[in-house]
Amino acid sequence: MKIDDNTVIGENGTVSCAHCAAVLGESVAQPLARALRRERPPADAGPGVRADPATYTDRPLVLRQLFCPQCLVLLATEIAPADEPSFRHWSVTR
Amino acid sequence: MPIIPVAGSERFATSPKTTAELRESVTGVRLHDIPPAAVADLDPLTYEVVRHRLTAITEEMGDALKRMSGSVVVTDCNDFGTAIFDEGGDSVQVGLVNTQLAASLDMAVKWTLENRAGNPGIGPGDMFFCNDPWVGGGLHQNDASIFAPLFYDGELFAWTGAACHQVDLGGVSPGSWSVAGRDVFWESTPVPPVKMVEAGTLRSDIEDLYLRRSRVPKLIALDLRAKIGANHVAQDRLRRLIDKYGPTAVKAVMRHMMTDAESRLRGKLRALPDGTWSSVAHQDGARAGDRAIYKIVCQMTKRADRLTFDFTGTDPQVEGFANCTFAGLRGGIMPIVLTMLCGDIQWAPGGLLRCLDIISEPGTINNCTFPAGIGKGSVASAWATQNAVSECVAEMLATDPEQAKSLMSVGCGTWDLALLAGVDQRGGGFVTMICDSMAGGLGARVDQDGVDTGGLNCIPMGRVADVEINEFSFPILYLWRREEADSGGPGRFRGGLGGSSCFIPHDSPIGGVHLVVSATGKALPQAPGLSGGYPAGTQYDVLTRGTSTRYSFAGGRIPATLDELGGDRQVMPNHAETDMGPDDVYYTHWQGGGGYGDPLLRAPDLVAADVRAGRVSAGAASGVYGVVLAGHGTVDEDATSQHRTQLRRERAGVA
Repeated sequence: MKIDDNTVIGENGTVSCAHCAAVLGESVAQPLARALRRERPPADAGPGVRADPATYTDRPLVLRQLFCPQCLVLLATEIAPADEPSFRHWSVTR
Repeated sequence: MPIIPVAGSERFATSPKTTAELRESVTGVRLHDIPPAAVADLDPLTYEVVRHRLTAITEEMGDALKRMSGSVVVTDCNDFGTAIFDEGGDSVQVGLVNTQLAASLDMAVKWTLENRAGNPGIGPGDMFFCNDPWVGGGLHQNDASIFAPLFYDGELFAWTGAACHQVDLGGVSPGSWSVAGRDVFWESTPVPPVKMVEAGTLRSDIEDLYLRRSRVPKLIALDLRAKIGANHVAQDRLRRLIDKYGPTAVKAVMRHMMTDAESRLRGKLRALPDGTWSSVAHQDGARAGDRAIYKIVCQMTKRADRLTFDFTGTDPQVEGFANCTFAGLRGGIMPIVLTMLCGDIQWAPGGLLRCLDIISEPGTINNCTFPAGIGKGSVASAWATQNAVSECVAEMLATDPEQAKSLMSVGCGTWDLALLAGVDQRGGGFVTMICDSMAGGLGARVDQDGVDTGGLNCIPMGRVADVEINEFSFPILYLWRREEADSGGPGRFRGGLGGSSCFIPHDSPIGGVHLVVSATGKALPQAPGLSGGYPAGTQYDVLTRGTSTRYSFAGGRIPATLDELGGDRQVMPNHAETDMGPDDVYYTHWQGGGGYGDPLLRAPDLVAADVRAGRVSAGAASGVYGVVLAGHGTVDEDATSQHRTQLRRERAGVA
């Protein structure tokens, strides 16, 4: 079953990369457990980030991204407070 | 000073009951009803004719409102909502304009039935006014609503309602956007439902009580009559419809519209896998000087044919004006349900809501308790709620090949408020918000880019006023209004571009204008991408003092960039209030939509076309999309392939 542009769930519940079939997670409970995780400054998201976040807040922010460990396709992107865990999760049960 | 609870205020924040529940509890007024068999016996032709007529009536209400209003916010920008309800306030049909407003009007109708039927009573020709977001009827105090019972043969047959944004209803700051506000007492005082029109007569005492608070009472009085007129139009049309088809048939259609919407939404949900999708929406700053970041957490669970939106984990309500009430939370959910799940389903929230459960703790930033500040609630926590809900619903839809075509990444992350006040070129006082950010960028989809400056999820029929209308109406001249490169979130499909406007005070007898600025999304983007797509750009507002623009104009030139303005450039904080002098120029840059998919998978030709059209900068084409352009702007295929391979490793931190 397709989950989104980049991930599929196999018959055995394994979550894989839709582009290269690399296993991203053994089960839907931790669907992206094997994904590469990287954090960078928000400005690395490109020129769309217009001003230094420090102009507006004292809280450090981070560009957080997940990648397929094999083909390095980008699986997820968010800019969020660095001291905050990611709240973006999914779990499909059927 | 902390927000101190006010005893007794709880009665204005009840959970809305269904029509069936209200039938058991309301006394003092006879509610029309029909037997279930009347719905079952409804012939399809009558259903279709009357159903379409009811839809058309909500549009006619909007037309009437626009024709009578004198506010550009209404006449040109469509910041209003209209709806028809059954006898118990369940929404039968909402209009295509501000669906946040329409999604909260039912709450006010239901509260009125419960609390006003005995005293002062609800009778033929009555109309009620409300701008209390704890009750409903709007998401902040500027959303002032008028709703009216329709009696037929002595029974309360239905309700009609209209709400629109009022440009000023008092409070510390012009436009009622009290950027320094700590609680609701800094803001326009919320008015729970009062009988504004009694047996067909506008009550002058209540009208005076209402208008006295505004800096522009004549304009507000005109809008009040516009909403009364919209209700008159609706009631006239409904009465004719009932005369023609009979009350039983019309009510059966109303019932069937809601049950049909409900059953069709349930069918869509059943076709999707069960699961849970979580998201978060951030806001930077809840008042002037506040440098904190607040989060709204949404966990959406889909089981069989129901959706549960659980906001547990959302930050507590804050000192400031960015909280929203439960009406705002609900108003954050319904626009996404309507636009993403119900594009082919009747917009009958009374039925759709039967498929939804909401879990939220009172006292949180998107379900605040009195007297928390809510002046910006509609475009602050309600909008942020909408962003979080949008992400969850879109991810759920992505799992189904057919329904995925309806998803959209988060569109324009919030409203970039530029509010002007002062003396206009005709010598009269004025207050208005410049509604240019109505042209937000829409989110990318699974098979196409987001629409550039395409609008807002919550106001499908919203629009921007012509530059000339704004210049004619208010003492300003535009230097430009345009789409902004790189404002759309990069992705395999790019988010729609946001835009910017730049203007200078002009022809005011007092020289300049007063400026109120309020916009989050400056520290971090508010329109996230999906499936690896990047978020849209951040919001960015700049006030440049003492520019040479007048001299440029005198020389026949219109500055086209901030660098050409000269002067002292000040990057504006999230929330601020100041005066603009005659040589000061304000630049407001609102948000685009989030991207979809990995930008390194975007077709290089599309990137090249975006660069040629000014939608993407050459820097972003190379640094984010990995596309190398040859001398004439065409794609260098080999160099692009190599660059993308390198960029793919660099961004993942792989040596």
